[in-house]
Amino acid sequence: MRKVAVIGAGMTLFRRRLMETPKELCFEATRMALDSAGIELKDVDAVISGSAPDGFDGVHMKGEYYSDGCGAYGKPYMRVFVGGGTGVFSAISGWYHIASGLADIALVVNEEKMSSCQPHPQSVFAHIWDPILDRPLKPNLIWIFAMEMNRYMTVHKIKKEDIALVAVKNKRNAVDHPCAQLADPNITVDDVLNSEVLAWPVQRLDISPPSDGAAALVMASEDAVKRLHVETPVWMKGVGWCIDSTMWTDRDLYFPEYVARAAKMAYKMAKIDNPRKQIDFAEPYDPFDYKELHHMEGLLLAKKGEAPIMTREGVTQRDGDLPTCPSGGLLGVGNPIAATMGVKIGELYWQLSGQAGKRQIPHEIKTGVTNAWGDLMQYGAVAVMGV
Amino acid sequence: MTFIEKTTDHRKLRRWEGNIEADYIYTSGLAGERFFTELRKNGRILATHCPRCDLTYLPPRMYCERCLAELRDWKEVPATGRVEAFTVARLDEEGHEAPEPQVWAFIKFPGIHGGFVHIVAAPEEKVKRGLEVRPRLKPQPLRTGEITDIEAFEPAEH
Repeated sequence: MRKVAVIGAGMTLFRRRLMETPKELCFEATRMALDSAGIELKDVDAVISGSAPDGFDGVHMKGEYYSDGCGAYGKPYMRVFVGGGTGVFSAISGWYHIASGLADIALVVNEEKMSSCQPHPQSVFAHIWDPILDRPLKPNLIWIFAMEMNRYMTVHKIKKEDIALVAVKNKRNAVDHPCAQLADPNITVDDVLNSEVLAWPVQRLDISPPSDGAAALVMASEDAVKRLHVETPVWMKGVGWCIDSTMWTDRDLYFPEYVARAAKMAYKMAKIDNPRKQIDFAEPYDPFDYKELHHMEGLLLAKKGEAPIMTREGVTQRDGDLPTCPSGGLLGVGNPIAATMGVKIGELYWQLSGQAGKRQIPHEIKTGVTNAWGDLMQYGAVAVMGV
Repeated sequence: MTFIEKTTDHRKLRRWEGNIEADYIYTSGLAGERFFTELRKNGRILATHCPRCDLTYLPPRMYCERCLAELRDWKEVPATGRVEAFTVARLDEEGHEAPEPQVWAFIKFPGIHGGFVHIVAAPEEKVKRGLEVRPRLKPQPLRTGEITDIEAFEPAEH
């Protein structure tokens, strides 16, 4: 397989509602990524897009509908979709387009316009359930997360305060992100603990809300990196993905085994045998504060039950030993499902190429890992990137 | 089970009911906002031009799909277009015979890339490829900034 690098990235503002159409959101992110890579659309061999259910934007076949905004006109194009996992998986798809030799330069563009869906995107999320076994009971996505969070807290005797620290860290980190929807420089643990209880133990400030937004990457082969004299390529060192049982009752909710399997696949490719030592920083998928901790453990960056302790001890702060979600994550920047690629793969690119500005991790970093999580909460996509 | 028992009405069979409770509010977008505002206020139809690719897009877009340049150059579309292709719909969306056949056409304008798919208000025997047509707009006070502000295209009178 050929080596593949990210050589440019772009993202729009993440907001509750944006004026731009899905096509225009794609265009803005794509144009930014092309400019950041210093290339033009004619240099691109293939285009890959990722987006969540058509039910959010309210346009069926939305991947085809907005494809012109992604620069796909007249080029090989495909849309990939693995639920929330799309934020990392579409970059994996970009990687195999190039690693296989099919393309030298590929664009990866992810988009979501959740504000179209009324009264709330939950109306669409509610239909991920089995229509006969689950739907008649009218389950809500948050209940399921609440059960997972509760199981995680119970098994490891974790205090709610320690989980709230993640929301505080990420919403404060987001102050330095120019696209952030939910930055709050003054937020405290008490604010999180006093916020509205949605489904115990999940409270309003434990969750990232729906957003509109788009993000894009330019990926290139080693040949193209040399030809274009790219000064700061960030290499895709390893990728992995895995799906668990489709029955959420058949998983032990306290540990995301499917993330661990995806991580092991990626680490093997990246020749990493001690992730805690060899990974310098992480962007675990954090739609809920407990998910950052859950995913740190799934990514084998912490022992089971250890992630909250590392968080309390400051290890995961931007200037800590293992900076985690230095972007501000989904909790701070926003959660336009697939477009969160901008704060996951995008942040790894900006940090590792030294372009993260005020968010730049103050010490030397060489390797980062990110994951995204989705489908019926049982899909893991992992990428290791490095310089 | 035999095929003799087949039914074409699935609701007569044992079933679970489901309903996705979602409806939608869309935004017209940055280019759409200007296009629809101009149509509503001044009855003008605008397109955007890409100088690099020398293409003028209708409906207007904020970017060129060929080179992804941001488009800032707005032009008025010529008043008269031509029918490029057409069809005559005889059944309504329920599958019943429509009260009268409806002519749908793809309409292009000189020097413009793209065009409109819209209704042609003319007897079907009059419609042919190349027919010159002009938009018939709703009166200004009734216009709402929607594509239906153009009621139909009519044969151009000379």
